[in-house]
Amino acid sequence: MKSLATVLARLALWSALATTLFPILWMLLTSFKQPDISQALPPVWDFAPTWQNYRDVLTGNTYTSQVFGVLIVHTVIVTFASTLVGLVAAVPAAYALARLRFSGKRFAANWILTTIMFPPIVSVIPVFIFASRLGLTDTWPVLVIPYAAFSLPMMIWMLRSSIKQIPFEIEEAAMIDGASQADILRHIVLPLLTPGIVSASLLAGMMAWNEFLFALTLTRSAVKTAPVGISEFTNMYGTQWGTLSAAATVTVAPILVITILLRRRVVEGLTFGAVK
Amino acid sequence: MGWGLMSPALVVLFIMAIAPTVYLVYVSFRHENLLGPGSMFVGWQNFSRVLSNNENWSDALSTVEFVVLSVFFELGLGLGLALLLNRRLPESDLLTALFILPLGVAPVVSALVFRVLLDPAYGWIDYYLQTWGLIGDPIDWLGNPGTAWVAIVGLDVWQWTPFVTLILLAGLSGVPSEPKEAAIVDGAGPVLLFWHITLPFLRPFIAIAVVLRAIEAFKTFGSIFVLTTGGPGTSTEVINLDLYRIALQDFDIGAAAALGIVFLLFLSVIMTQLLGVLDRNTDILED
Repeated sequence: MKSLATVLARLALWSALATTLFPILWMLLTSFKQPDISQALPPVWDFAPTWQNYRDVLTGNTYTSQVFGVLIVHTVIVTFASTLVGLVAAVPAAYALARLRFSGKRFAANWILTTIMFPPIVSVIPVFIFASRLGLTDTWPVLVIPYAAFSLPMMIWMLRSSIKQIPFEIEEAAMIDGASQADILRHIVLPLLTPGIVSASLLAGMMAWNEFLFALTLTRSAVKTAPVGISEFTNMYGTQWGTLSAAATVTVAPILVITILLRRRVVEGLTFGAVK
Repeated sequence: MGWGLMSPALVVLFIMAIAPTVYLVYVSFRHENLLGPGSMFVGWQNFSRVLSNNENWSDALSTVEFVVLSVFFELGLGLGLALLLNRRLPESDLLTALFILPLGVAPVVSALVFRVLLDPAYGWIDYYLQTWGLIGDPIDWLGNPGTAWVAIVGLDVWQWTPFVTLILLAGLSGVPSEPKEAAIVDGAGPVLLFWHITLPFLRPFIAIAVVLRAIEAFKTFGSIFVLTTGGPGTSTEVINLDLYRIALQDFDIGAAAALGIVFLLFLSVIMTQLLGVLDRNTDILED
């Protein structure tokens, strides 16, 4: 009876896993296929893999308007810059909300949390208009500042709870020894906060890396990112399955590798600190 | 001191939340079309225009349906998977590591992959469903309203069920064993055990998962935009796509602003309810 239940549980889990991985597996397989078999039915499972699609995608031997490798570089820059801006704003705010007493604190904390509800489509309209009037369309700040703002509420929220878990006695002892507020933040809180900062940065980085709406609306070519560029692989010439899936794999691979290597931190970030 | 440390964050949020809202309120009372002539004050005209348009109402309904359906299936499947993974099979850790992979796939990429897989002529899904005798003729998934809905909800469920699973799995690992053992001694079956012991412990985690998923589902844009572009017709057009079309394809900024304000008001009511759910079931809002 017990073993039958285990067999059924295993069966259910493995078939759910097969369904889950199927689209990712399709993407990987197709990216290594020669063009003549990439759309073949019945699907070809056994073939000699080729790097041709990846070479074409990264060197620009495709129908797309820009070399995809360049878009990946843009995405890397935007991701790091916005995560950094987010951290610089989030760490002090989280510390203030966790440790200091000041009037209006509860209101500030609640208001910051409610901004996570703010839908990007509503803010992209004014940003689009201001950016075109100020000539900022297709520049770094129109992506970096919004991306930092999107992840800011959750970063603050996560870091606030991480700081609260650091025993206040350690800080008190430093204060008694004459350390300044800045010293305490730098030499005591920050080192203990590292895991929390890693988790929050991973969350912010993944959001920025994958973001589509702002990149679609506010960029043309100079700072265009991979999620926007990838949709060009299905165009009026039809879908180039091989290059599409190679570009998709290149876009997804860094995040998937990080997800596997830093699983606990990624999970903590994705669930906004609810899962430690 | 407190506000000083808060100021960088507040500046960023001011730029991205307060300033846009103020501008939207201002422009919602004006005729403002980026393609047409000049801008002028028109009172409530934009609001009466967007509120009397049936398309906007049906898109609003689609949005609510999308959120409810997606979160419902994600919670059901996520709970099932979490309970199975919690049986601590030898391969549970490996399975968990593989199950979370969809969370790392950019929504635009998964939408593109789904689009190709669902292609009626070359897609693998129709091919295998036919080969295994589950369907007769190929299904044009994205060409019919009903199946297009299956596709957009299915995509969201594929992408985000792991998120719910992870949160509930964390909850399950905290369920103490003593009350369970006591209940088993008293002759309680698995259903009673789940209902009276596991579920009460899981409640805060279910609340967190549902609230966070609902918030994100209301913001869904890229995946539906890429998968169906709101089609066929406007059958899968949620309010985010509607706003995009009005503002950034028709450039009717006044109408988009009015609709955006209505959407924001609606969301703030929902958000209050969702935060209430969190407040009643968890302590994460405690000061």
